[in-house]
Amino acid sequence: MGFNITSEITEGVAKLTLAGSLDSSSASMMQAEIQKVAAQSPTALVLYVSQLEFMSSAGLRMLIFAKQKLGTTVQIYIVQPQGQIVDTLQMTGIIHSVHIVDNYPA
Amino acid sequence: MDNAAKIFPASLDSLEPIRDYVSKRCEVLGFNKKKTYGLCLAIDEIATNIINYGYPKAGIGLGIIEVHMADDARQLTVTLIDTAVAFDPLAHLVPNQDDMNKPLEDRPIGGLGILLARQNVDEFRYERRGDQNCNVFVVNVSS
Repeated sequence: MGFNITSEITEGVAKLTLAGSLDSSSASMMQAEIQKVAAQSPTALVLYVSQLEFMSSAGLRMLIFAKQKLGTTVQIYIVQPQGQIVDTLQMTGIIHSVHIVDNYPA
Repeated sequence: MDNAAKIFPASLDSLEPIRDYVSKRCEVLGFNKKKTYGLCLAIDEIATNIINYGYPKAGIGLGIIEVHMADDARQLTVTLIDTAVAFDPLAHLVPNQDDMNKPLEDRPIGGLGILLARQNVDEFRYERRGDQNCNVFVVNVSS
Protein backbone atom coordinates (compact mmCIF):
# COMPACT_ATOMS: atom_id res chain seq x y z
CA MET A 1 0.00 0.00 0.00
CA GLY A 2 2.77 2.45 0.94
CA PHE A 3 2.17 6.12 1.58
CA ASN A 4 1.83 9.14 -0.66
CA ILE A 5 1.60 12.78 0.27
CA THR A 6 1.41 15.94 -1.80
CA SER A 7 1.15 19.53 -0.62
CA GLU A 8 0.19 22.92 -1.99
CA ILE A 9 -0.60 26.33 -0.62
CA THR A 10 -3.59 28.15 -2.05
CA GLU A 11 -4.45 31.64 -0.86
CA GLY A 12 -2.59 31.09 2.37
CA VAL A 13 -4.18 27.70 3.12
CA ALA A 14 -1.88 24.67 3.28
CA LYS A 15 -3.44 21.62 1.68
CA LEU A 16 -1.97 18.16 2.15
CA THR A 17 -3.37 15.13 0.38
CA LEU A 18 -2.57 11.81 2.06
CA ALA A 19 -3.08 8.29 0.73
CA GLY A 20 -2.15 4.77 1.87
CA SER A 21 -0.68 3.95 5.27
CA LEU A 22 0.62 6.57 7.67
CA ASP A 23 2.75 4.71 10.21
CA SER A 24 6.16 5.18 11.83
CA SER A 25 7.92 4.29 8.59
CA SER A 26 6.12 6.99 6.60
CA ALA A 27 5.53 9.75 9.20
CA SER A 28 8.82 11.44 8.30
CA MET A 29 7.39 12.15 4.83
CA MET A 30 4.49 13.99 6.41
CA GLN A 31 6.81 15.83 8.78
CA ALA A 32 8.83 17.07 5.79
CA GLU A 33 5.68 18.37 4.07
CA ILE A 34 4.53 20.14 7.23
CA GLN A 35 7.92 21.81 7.54
CA LYS A 36 7.73 22.82 3.88
CA VAL A 37 4.32 24.49 4.17
CA ALA A 38 5.15 26.00 7.59
CA ALA A 39 7.82 28.11 5.92
CA GLN A 40 5.01 30.02 4.20
CA SER A 41 3.07 30.66 7.43
CA PRO A 42 -0.32 29.33 6.29
CA THR A 43 -3.53 30.45 8.01
CA ALA A 44 -5.07 26.95 8.02
CA LEU A 45 -4.00 23.36 7.42
CA VAL A 46 -6.31 21.11 5.43
CA LEU A 47 -5.69 17.37 5.25
CA TYR A 48 -7.47 15.49 2.46
CA VAL A 49 -7.50 11.93 3.74
CA SER A 50 -10.29 10.05 1.97
CA GLN A 51 -7.66 7.71 0.50
CA LEU A 52 -5.79 7.27 3.80
CA GLU A 53 -6.37 3.63 4.75
CA PHE A 54 -4.36 3.40 7.97
CA MET A 55 -3.04 5.82 10.58
CA SER A 56 -1.14 4.87 13.71
CA SER A 57 -0.12 7.11 16.61
CA ALA A 58 2.74 8.26 14.38
CA GLY A 59 0.08 10.16 12.43
CA LEU A 60 -1.36 11.61 15.63
CA ARG A 61 2.09 12.84 16.55
CA MET A 62 2.24 14.59 13.17
CA LEU A 63 -0.98 16.45 14.02
CA ILE A 64 0.56 17.57 17.31
CA PHE A 65 3.76 18.51 15.47
CA ALA A 66 1.76 20.52 12.91
CA LYS A 67 -0.03 22.47 15.63
CA GLN A 68 3.23 23.21 17.41
CA LYS A 69 4.99 24.17 14.17
CA LEU A 70 2.23 26.27 12.60
CA GLY A 71 1.01 27.96 15.77
CA THR A 72 -2.00 27.50 17.98
CA THR A 73 -4.22 29.86 15.97
CA VAL A 74 -3.91 27.77 12.82
CA GLN A 75 -6.94 25.48 12.56
CA ILE A 76 -6.57 21.93 11.26
CA TYR A 77 -9.29 20.53 8.99
CA ILE A 78 -9.48 16.80 8.22
CA VAL A 79 -11.54 16.12 5.12
CA GLN A 80 -13.44 12.84 4.70
CA PRO A 81 -11.51 10.55 7.07
CA GLN A 82 -12.42 6.86 7.02
CA GLY A 83 -14.35 5.52 10.02
CA GLN A 84 -11.45 3.76 11.71
CA ILE A 85 -9.35 6.91 11.58
CA VAL A 86 -12.17 8.87 13.19
CA ASP A 87 -12.28 6.17 15.90
CA THR A 88 -8.57 6.69 16.57
CA LEU A 89 -9.00 10.46 16.82
CA GLN A 90 -11.93 9.89 19.17
CA MET A 91 -10.16 7.37 21.40
CA THR A 92 -7.24 9.70 21.96
CA GLY A 93 -9.32 12.86 22.41
CA ILE A 94 -7.53 14.52 19.51
CA ILE A 95 -10.84 14.84 17.69
CA HIS A 96 -11.61 17.84 19.94
CA SER A 97 -8.64 19.76 18.57
CA VAL A 98 -9.34 19.33 14.85
CA HIS A 99 -12.29 19.89 12.53
CA ILE A 100 -13.67 16.83 10.75
CA VAL A 101 -15.41 18.03 7.58
CA ASP A 102 -16.90 16.59 4.39
CA ASN A 103 -15.49 19.34 2.21
CA TYR A 104 -13.05 22.21 2.40
CA PRO A 105 -13.99 24.90 1.77
CA ALA A 106 -17.40 23.88 3.07
CA MET B 1 -6.91 -24.77 16.65
CA ASP B 2 -4.95 -23.31 13.78
CA ASN B 3 -1.39 -22.07 14.30
CA ALA B 4 0.96 -20.02 12.19
CA ALA B 5 4.14 -18.04 12.76
CA LYS B 6 6.47 -15.83 10.79
CA ILE B 7 9.68 -13.97 11.57
CA PHE B 8 10.18 -10.33 10.51
CA PRO B 9 13.27 -8.13 10.75
CA ALA B 10 12.75 -5.53 13.49
CA SER B 11 12.77 -2.57 11.11
CA LEU B 12 10.10 0.01 10.31
CA ASP B 13 9.88 -1.47 6.81
CA SER B 14 8.35 -4.55 8.44
CA LEU B 15 5.33 -2.72 9.87
CA GLU B 16 3.21 -2.99 6.76
CA PRO B 17 4.15 -6.63 6.05
CA ILE B 18 3.29 -7.52 9.68
CA ARG B 19 -0.11 -5.81 9.35
CA ASP B 20 -0.70 -7.61 6.04
CA TYR B 21 0.22 -10.97 7.58
CA VAL B 22 -2.25 -10.50 10.44
CA SER B 23 -5.04 -9.00 8.34
CA LYS B 24 -4.96 -11.96 5.94
CA ARG B 25 -5.70 -14.25 8.89
CA CYS B 26 -8.51 -11.94 9.99
CA GLU B 27 -9.95 -12.14 6.50
CA VAL B 28 -9.95 -15.94 6.61
CA LEU B 29 -11.75 -15.78 9.95
CA GLY B 30 -14.37 -13.43 8.52
CA PHE B 31 -13.56 -10.47 10.80
CA ASN B 32 -15.14 -7.18 9.81
CA LYS B 33 -13.03 -4.19 8.81
CA LYS B 34 -13.27 -2.49 12.22
CA LYS B 35 -12.06 -5.53 14.14
CA THR B 36 -9.26 -6.24 11.68
CA TYR B 37 -8.14 -2.61 11.70
CA GLY B 38 -8.15 -2.44 15.50
CA LEU B 39 -5.99 -5.55 15.83
CA CYS B 40 -3.56 -4.35 13.15
CA LEU B 41 -3.32 -0.94 14.83
CA ALA B 42 -2.64 -2.48 18.24
CA ILE B 43 0.08 -4.72 16.81
CA ASP B 44 1.61 -1.87 14.79
CA GLU B 45 1.92 0.28 17.91
CA ILE B 46 3.72 -2.37 19.96
CA ALA B 47 5.93 -3.44 17.05
CA THR B 48 6.92 0.20 16.55
CA ASN B 49 7.97 0.45 20.20
CA ILE B 50 10.06 -2.71 19.88
CA ILE B 51 11.77 -1.40 16.74
CA ASN B 52 12.28 2.22 17.81
CA TYR B 53 13.13 1.73 21.48
CA GLY B 54 13.42 -1.92 22.51
CA TYR B 55 16.22 -3.12 20.27
CA PRO B 56 18.18 0.17 20.16
CA LYS B 57 18.19 0.23 24.01
CA ALA B 58 19.42 -3.36 24.00
CA GLY B 59 22.24 -2.31 21.67
CA ILE B 60 21.07 -4.82 19.10
CA GLY B 61 21.45 -3.50 15.57
CA LEU B 62 18.79 -5.49 13.82
CA GLY B 63 16.69 -7.80 15.91
CA ILE B 64 13.71 -9.85 14.91
CA ILE B 65 10.04 -9.92 15.76
CA GLU B 66 8.26 -13.25 15.74
CA VAL B 67 4.56 -13.06 14.99
CA HIS B 68 2.61 -16.09 16.22
CA MET B 69 -1.06 -16.59 15.52
CA ALA B 70 -3.42 -19.14 16.98
CA ASP B 71 -7.14 -19.29 16.54
CA ASP B 72 -10.03 -21.46 17.54
CA ALA B 73 -13.78 -21.05 17.32
CA ARG B 74 -13.78 -18.40 20.04
CA GLN B 75 -10.78 -16.17 19.51
CA LEU B 76 -7.70 -15.19 17.57
CA THR B 77 -4.55 -14.76 19.63
CA VAL B 78 -1.56 -12.95 18.15
CA THR B 79 1.73 -12.93 20.06
CA LEU B 80 4.68 -10.71 19.22
CA ILE B 81 7.95 -12.07 20.58
CA ASP B 82 11.19 -10.09 20.71
CA THR B 83 14.48 -10.26 22.60
CA ALA B 84 14.89 -6.52 23.15
CA VAL B 85 15.11 -4.92 26.61
CA ALA B 86 12.30 -5.90 28.96
CA PHE B 87 9.35 -3.61 28.37
CA ASP B 88 5.91 -4.05 29.84
CA PRO B 89 3.49 -1.73 28.04
CA LEU B 90 0.95 -2.24 30.82
CA ALA B 91 3.36 -0.75 33.36
CA HIS B 92 3.49 2.54 31.49
CA LEU B 93 1.21 5.47 31.99
CA VAL B 94 -1.15 6.28 29.19
CA PRO B 95 -2.74 9.70 28.69
CA ASN B 96 -5.50 10.33 31.23
CA GLN B 97 -8.73 12.27 30.80
CA ASP B 98 -7.02 15.56 31.68
CA ASP B 99 -4.46 14.95 28.93
CA MET B 100 -7.25 14.08 26.51
CA ASN B 101 -8.89 17.44 27.11
CA LYS B 102 -5.73 19.46 26.57
CA PRO B 103 -5.29 21.51 23.41
CA LEU B 104 -3.31 19.65 20.78
CA GLU B 105 -0.19 21.75 21.21
CA ASP B 106 -0.06 20.91 24.93
CA ARG B 107 -0.68 17.19 24.57
CA PRO B 108 2.03 14.85 25.82
CA ILE B 109 3.33 12.91 22.84
CA GLY B 110 4.18 9.73 24.74
CA GLY B 111 1.75 6.98 25.55
CA LEU B 112 -0.66 7.39 22.66
CA GLY B 113 0.53 4.20 20.96
CA ILE B 114 0.19 2.11 24.11
CA LEU B 115 -3.27 3.57 24.70
CA LEU B 116 -4.31 2.50 21.18
CA ALA B 117 -2.79 -0.94 21.60
CA ARG B 118 -4.76 -1.54 24.80
CA GLN B 119 -8.05 -0.16 23.55
CA ASN B 120 -8.25 -1.84 20.17
CA VAL B 121 -8.30 -5.51 21.20
CA ASP B 122 -10.49 -7.49 23.57
CA GLU B 123 -7.53 -8.47 25.72
CA PHE B 124 -3.90 -7.37 25.86
CA ARG B 125 -1.31 -9.16 27.98
CA TYR B 126 2.42 -8.88 28.51
CA GLU B 127 4.68 -11.68 29.70
CA ARG B 128 8.44 -11.83 30.15
CA ARG B 129 9.71 -15.33 29.35
CA GLY B 130 13.45 -15.63 29.92
CA ASP B 131 15.02 -13.03 27.64
CA GLN B 132 11.85 -12.62 25.60
CA ASN B 133 9.10 -10.03 25.64
CA CYS B 134 5.76 -11.57 24.72
CA ASN B 135 3.00 -9.15 23.83
CA VAL B 136 -0.28 -11.03 23.51
CA PHE B 137 -3.32 -9.64 21.67
CA VAL B 138 -6.63 -11.47 21.86
CA VAL B 139 -9.66 -10.74 19.70
CA ASN B 140 -12.95 -12.55 20.23
CA VAL B 141 -14.38 -14.02 17.08
CA SER B 142 -17.94 -13.15 17.96
CA SER B 143 -17.54 -9.70 19.57
